[in-house]
Amino acid sequence: MTNIPWLSIVIFLPLTASLALQLVPGRARGLIKGLTIAATLATAVLVACLVANMSGSPAQGTPLPLHYDENQSWIPDPVNAHYHLGLDGLAAWMLALNAGVFLLGALVVSRRDVDRMKLFCGLLLLTETATAGVILAADMLLFYFFWEAMLIPLYFLLSNFGSEKRGRATLKFIIFTVAGSLLMLLAIIYLKVNSPANSFDLEVLLRTPGPAGDAVNFYGIHLFTPQQFAFLAFAIAFAIKLPLVPFHTWLPDLYESCPPAALVFFAGVVSKLGAFGFIRYAITLFPGPVHDFQWLLLTLSVITIIYGALMALSESDIKRIVAYASISHLGVIGLGIFALNANGINGAIIQIVNHGIIIASLFLVLGIIEQRTGTRDRHELAGLEKQMPYLYFFFLVITLAALGMPGLNSFAGEFTIMLGAFQTFWLLPVLAGIGVVLACWYMLRLHQGLMHEPLQPRTDGVRDISFVEGWVLVPLIALMIGIGVYPKPVGDIANLSTHQYVTLSSGPDAPAFTPIANSGGPG
Amino acid sequence: MMALLAAVPTLTPPTGSDIVGLLPEVILGGAFVILLLLDLITPASRRTWLAAFSVVAIVAAFGTTVWGWFDAYNNPHVHGVFFGAFAYDRFGLFINGVLLTSALLVVVISPQYLNRRGLHYGEYYSLILAATTGMMLLAGAASLMVIFLSVELLSISLYILSGFSRTDERSQEAALKYLLLGGFASAFLLYGMALVYGETGHTQLEQIAIAIHSGIATVDPLLLIGVVLMLVGFAFKVSAAPFHMWTPDVYQGAPTSVTAFMSVATKVAAFAALIRVFSFAFPDLYPQWQTAVVFVCILSMVWGNLAALSQTSLKRMLAYSGIAQAGYILIGVASSPHDAGGTIGALFYLAAYSLTNLGAFAVITIMSGRGEDLDRYASIRGLAHRRPYVAAAMALFMLSLAGFPPTAGFFGKFLVFSAAIKSGLMPLALWGIATSAVSIFYYLRVVLLMYAKPDADAKSYEWSKTTVSGGAVVAFTTAGTLVFGVFVTLLYTVATAAQQGALPRL
Repeated sequence: MTNIPWLSIVIFLPLTASLALQLVPGRARGLIKGLTIAATLATAVLVACLVANMSGSPAQGTPLPLHYDENQSWIPDPVNAHYHLGLDGLAAWMLALNAGVFLLGALVVSRRDVDRMKLFCGLLLLTETATAGVILAADMLLFYFFWEAMLIPLYFLLSNFGSEKRGRATLKFIIFTVAGSLLMLLAIIYLKVNSPANSFDLEVLLRTPGPAGDAVNFYGIHLFTPQQFAFLAFAIAFAIKLPLVPFHTWLPDLYESCPPAALVFFAGVVSKLGAFGFIRYAITLFPGPVHDFQWLLLTLSVITIIYGALMALSESDIKRIVAYASISHLGVIGLGIFALNANGINGAIIQIVNHGIIIASLFLVLGIIEQRTGTRDRHELAGLEKQMPYLYFFFLVITLAALGMPGLNSFAGEFTIMLGAFQTFWLLPVLAGIGVVLACWYMLRLHQGLMHEPLQPRTDGVRDISFVEGWVLVPLIALMIGIGVYPKPVGDIANLSTHQYVTLSSGPDAPAFTPIANSGGPG
Repeated sequence: MMALLAAVPTLTPPTGSDIVGLLPEVILGGAFVILLLLDLITPASRRTWLAAFSVVAIVAAFGTTVWGWFDAYNNPHVHGVFFGAFAYDRFGLFINGVLLTSALLVVVISPQYLNRRGLHYGEYYSLILAATTGMMLLAGAASLMVIFLSVELLSISLYILSGFSRTDERSQEAALKYLLLGGFASAFLLYGMALVYGETGHTQLEQIAIAIHSGIATVDPLLLIGVVLMLVGFAFKVSAAPFHMWTPDVYQGAPTSVTAFMSVATKVAAFAALIRVFSFAFPDLYPQWQTAVVFVCILSMVWGNLAALSQTSLKRMLAYSGIAQAGYILIGVASSPHDAGGTIGALFYLAAYSLTNLGAFAVITIMSGRGEDLDRYASIRGLAHRRPYVAAAMALFMLSLAGFPPTAGFFGKFLVFSAAIKSGLMPLALWGIATSAVSIFYYLRVVLLMYAKPDADAKSYEWSKTTVSGGAVVAFTTAGTLVFGVFVTLLYTVATAAQQGALPRL
């Protein structure tokens, strides 16, 4: 049983389905939809089984114990890259989110009349393969491979199916991301060349980090050390994806022009990969530099929280409001990561998933509203409560979850993050609290405006959500309430690896990953 | 001094194995002569048979190349043949393989295209074979004389080929421009060789390397001028800035199938010679030639990528992109003396670039209309809606040129950047990624156009139907680009073996 490469199956099942789709004639829309849903559903079920059975003990003596470890040589010695996959607590969360959100995307697209359905479904499945690869890779080069490859299906999705302004927004997104990740590529190569083990493997790099090096002398001015430069390259790449404030400008434009079905998994997973990258790579590989730049990153996170909230208040396009709200919430996740303590990181891991659920369902609801009314202007939308009573209920729960209501899922994550931030510096949660207060303002204003005011011409005679649309939303709502009421299982999976990440980020001298043989264990 | 020279391993004296070492070139050169005669007796309507004959000859040469790959490995003592004027090594045979693959693909797409353009003459195939022979000789040349002769053989064939469209003014202009500037470049190359010969007293690369290494030839300005002049000559052939001025006009003017061949094969062969001379024969002059190569490298990347941004013709854009790609390959060359990965990266890059660029040109070739090339940006608008598979392949080629995984182009860039960082040439790597980021603009612009909605009022272009031969070439290059981008080891181990077997070796 152990020899079955489950993780490879998780990665390549969608790819295989995508290739199989090419054999289906474009007119057989039912078959295309069915195949896409079946593939994403099968992946989701498999992931659920894998995550549920993760309790077995992984290989010990490594700094990052991975379950379902798969390791094969990919490119031989001088390059020394491996096809190395593994699942830990963080990756398990991300993978579950990934599988769920893509299943959701497949369900959404099947209810919509998308032109060129085959292309859309094929690209959706390719994106799932790439994001799963990013999450599961435990080799830097393999990670980068999937990280960049992810952009290709996204590019085609956005440039083929978005709204009118998509060309510019897509190019902006691609250029931003690629510029960041190319810098990261150099840093990855540097890490490998600098390490005595001369390997791209994440575990090996964590065990045998290279020397930090002397500060670069640039015509007499002492700049950072090479390792600090490498950290900054990683940080910029992930800060663009996250996004933190000076690097965020691609996001609102992109979300605005993104096709609704793609937005579900774009906002749900793709933008979470920045946070994932920070935890998995940036803070673990660079325990020294991350502390050197901790205050810079914390400041940027706080600015992101407040700036995003203020921008959300000033917009009138409902999609842009939620886009900025999303930026603000991602800033909270950043705050948790850069607090660099157990509570902060644990909260960030939980919040990554919570935010993925919330943002996906928010965009789902807004997509339905836009489809029915044909507008995204907040001022033209009002009084939907009477027209769409079911949607009203769903939207209410999602709104409350988004603004961090206790008893719903976001509260657990945000609270833990604030706790961690407080442990780092008492002022941080106070400043971040401004963002939370503003979140109440713009989310409730959005909800009240859309639902309660007198009817507008645009909203007169709008149908409520259909039975199937409702059933797509029900599990999401159930998750929000379930995690909110009983967050323990969620926290448990996150805790599986929080400890490791905290230890790793606190420096190479931490005793936690002494190999067992050295500590005098039997054998 | 004689004693010193006697102590070094001499190249083998001429034996029967000389012909064996030169077998692929002999087959192709023989086929070139036979083809000239066959053309006389082949009726005009049956000229496709000449293409078929060329394919057979190229496949035969490829077969002997593969055989030689193992033979050269099993006979480590058989190094140079013909008094060491020609290297029978895996380096040359690797390049042979790339060149023959390119030539094969070009010959396969040519008949349809030439018929449509009304250019279907038998000389075309003879000239392609002659140029390929010259390129293969250049790839294996281990003596200054052979280098020069093979450069001339390939250049003269290409001068004629670029002016092959006799009624097209641009094609004539291209040929003339190429001839005049190429003549200059050859003169630079020859002058450089003369100075190197004068300083070292040898024409064979191995002897030159020994002379420099052992201090018999002092490193004085005359030798360095010779080295730099040779660099100028090679930089012209690989179309690196600032010696690239001919490239856009010639690429645009020449018939597209010729451009496809030129953009790939010339670059590969000239880079082979450049690497053999600079990395393997002049490693001791590294501190001196490094500055020049780094300068040419950065200038090519910056100039090529910036100029490509403003183009509106696919062929011109690919010309400037080719200049930029030459810059990336030069990163590998510049780091080669410090790190073997530099040469391996450059070889990998060359193979990956050949497949990708040939695929891109094949798409332009097989789409071209009757009597004209459809290479304006406006003419590919909405291509994806009418020819989804061709457009998808073209998109893949653009992504590979831009360096996205999972394509071979990514690993080419990755390997040369790795070599640069490993050998301490961080600025080169930084220039490389900065310009790569710029290049995404113009590569993705092509993709964006193909997938855009066709204008309702715009002129409707008559893209040719994709034929079996054209489709096969596009499918082959697509598969290669993807396979080498995922199963990197396949190509990487071969490139490593080529680097390890390269002559001359001190």
